[in-house]
Amino acid sequence: MVDLGYFSMLIAVVISVYGIVAAAIGERWNKTELVRSAENSAFVVAGLLTIGLAVLFYSFLTHNYRLAYVASYSSNDLPLVYTISALWAGQEGSLLLWGWLLAVFTVIVILQNRRQNRALMPYVVIVLMIIILFFLILITFITPPFKKLDILPADGQGLNPLLQNPGMIFHPPLLFLGYVGFTVPFAFAIAALATGRLGDIWIRSTRRWTIFSWFFLGIGILLGAQWAYVELGWGGYWAWDPVENASLMPWLTGTAYLHSVMIQEKKNMLKVWNIILIILTFVLSIFGTFITRSGIISSVHSFGQSALGPFFLIFIGVILVTAFGLLVHRLPFLKSTNELDSIVSRESSFLFNNLILIGVAFSVFLGTVFPIISEAVRGVKITVGAPFFNQVNVPIGLALLFLTGLCPLIAWGKASGRNLRINFLSPFIIALAGGVVLFAVGIRKVYPLIAFTLCIFVLSTIVLEYLRGVNARRKMTSENYLTAFTRLIWRNKRRYGGYIVHIGMVLIFLGIAGSAFNAEKEVNMSRGESVRLRDYKITYEKLVSYPTKSKDVVSATLSISRGGKRLGFLSPSIETYKGQGETQTGTEVAIRSSLKEDLYIILAGYKPDGVSASFKLIINPLVNWIWIGGFVLALGTIVVMLPDRREKRRLLIKYSREVFSDEI
Amino acid sequence: MNINFKSKKSKFIIAGVIILGIIGYLTYAGIRDTKLYYLTPTEIVNRGSGVYGEKMRLGGVVTAGSIEYDAQTLTLKFVVTDNTNSLPVIYKGVVPDTFKNGVEVVVEGTYTSKGVFKAVTLLTKCPSKYEPES
Repeated sequence: MVDLGYFSMLIAVVISVYGIVAAAIGERWNKTELVRSAENSAFVVAGLLTIGLAVLFYSFLTHNYRLAYVASYSSNDLPLVYTISALWAGQEGSLLLWGWLLAVFTVIVILQNRRQNRALMPYVVIVLMIIILFFLILITFITPPFKKLDILPADGQGLNPLLQNPGMIFHPPLLFLGYVGFTVPFAFAIAALATGRLGDIWIRSTRRWTIFSWFFLGIGILLGAQWAYVELGWGGYWAWDPVENASLMPWLTGTAYLHSVMIQEKKNMLKVWNIILIILTFVLSIFGTFITRSGIISSVHSFGQSALGPFFLIFIGVILVTAFGLLVHRLPFLKSTNELDSIVSRESSFLFNNLILIGVAFSVFLGTVFPIISEAVRGVKITVGAPFFNQVNVPIGLALLFLTGLCPLIAWGKASGRNLRINFLSPFIIALAGGVVLFAVGIRKVYPLIAFTLCIFVLSTIVLEYLRGVNARRKMTSENYLTAFTRLIWRNKRRYGGYIVHIGMVLIFLGIAGSAFNAEKEVNMSRGESVRLRDYKITYEKLVSYPTKSKDVVSATLSISRGGKRLGFLSPSIETYKGQGETQTGTEVAIRSSLKEDLYIILAGYKPDGVSASFKLIINPLVNWIWIGGFVLALGTIVVMLPDRREKRRLLIKYSREVFSDEI
Repeated sequence: MNINFKSKKSKFIIAGVIILGIIGYLTYAGIRDTKLYYLTPTEIVNRGSGVYGEKMRLGGVVTAGSIEYDAQTLTLKFVVTDNTNSLPVIYKGVVPDTFKNGVEVVVEGTYTSKGVFKAVTLLTKCPSKYEPES
């Protein structure tokens, strides 16, 4: 059974090599059958990887500890969901999952393009298969998930208790969907360069893939943040840890790409820029895995370190050289057909948004790799931490927030005074009034005040835009408000869905800005004693301890009240896992969550008899809005991704000629 | 290259250069203001009095059996080693779950003239599995 997994991988290596060669020959000598055969070989590879994944899955379910990977990451008493998620708890399984996802995506791409993009497809298949082959080589020869142990252990080593959290079930696979998904637009970009078909067909064809990847990468990051928020020792929802930064960088360049392709679609500009952005996004996805897996930069999330670093580095080098080589080769054909006209225009505001996003990505990159650079240059490791990233990125982030309000509504070409007045005068006044009110109620910190004011500004531009749209429909059709509202979105999903995504981002900004008003306190309390934190009164009531099947739990009970009103109890606890070998403790924080703020309590220590205990009490204002923003973002993305018949018809007219010439 | 400052293009180049310049400056100033040495116990011991009171990061492994924690005052004492030299560390605050004997840690704080490292933050590396001693 286990050997089946290994041999599937081995055969998949051979077949993907065949697929790459067949597609190349088929393209070179115009042999359609060979290209089709290469496409079919991708199906076989996907099938073989599915078998591999299924074997590993089955081995986990049946606790087959003959397999080193299963023995390392699971145990008999591990709950079923975590036994399943142990599949991606380690490097071997993660890489297998990565390869499998990419193979499945490749199959979908091939099916989508059975009758279109035939000129691009050989190259798309070659690029995708080469990347699959890279992962196949890693999981077949370098870190095989199907490695067997010489002896059969009675039980596995279990999954690290820190990973036994709902975050473990969703965060890694969703992140992978994002990382892997960006491979598709990248492959199309390379195909466009290789064939010289540099119009926006490759962008149009991969629009949904781009949004899909961007979305899952973002949601994956947010879920990771949520997990880190409740997990002690990971420094809150965002600590600017290298591994966290590694996931943020492709998201930033991906966001830039998502925006700048709109300029190419509308205006036929920024062609080179778009190709650079998608190359960067893909390379940063791989680079993220490199940072995570190589352990080259110290991180609180550092995963089992391995010898994979050099492989990834070489792979990244090859991709960069090939991609940019092709780009330079095609440079003469990538002239824009339009020119930028005015600084105050949609095009230029998109361009500035892009520059800022890339600037952020660059500063995050520099801060992340700084220890390596300084060691190479000066022989001493110098690090920059959270203060660096905050100092740099907060002002840039605010500029970005401002552009979020500006970009979607400013006129193409050259914005007239009238355009600016109609779209921005009232939001500007509302935001200004809001800012004054916030200042009056006592918000005096500069950055948060600007952030809140800008949030109001962006939200009111969007609300105003919706109102205008609804009113326009009502004038023409005499629909009621609700119908007009839903039809407005339904008939222009890209535009109005995009606004919803922006609302989600604004809410996330709001939640992040709230962190400027955190309050915290470390206290030791005797039983019955109370402390105050802001307007909360927190009383230590009692300490209880009890064993469960897999752990010993010590749980404190605190009663919470505010302004004389009882709000209930919170029970932070410390759990000691009974696993084999060394004991592992897990601190379960207790959170009282509301839209205004979270009261977050950690049990830091206790006297065994419970006479006194130590706590860390934290107030995290507005943090819930980050997660709410995530939901809104998801909603908007779904709207944007829904099929749009009108859009399709428009495209069909625009591209009928190109598609026709494609068929010849 | 011919730059005509009246052309449309140059306006954008100037605007772009300004934006990138600001970001570049922010990055430069950020590194200047927040950079910290990341040293091993041996490097700190070798530098000795030269680095007293300077904010820095110290990385190493927690010496087995050196951990003392006072839950009352949330004071943690332990020894960090790189197998050549060791440094006593004192830290006040909540201890991460992954902190234990033999784990890799990064602490941020100052090295004092008493030869003790006073830490304000304590980060532990979290292995994704139980590392068997082998």
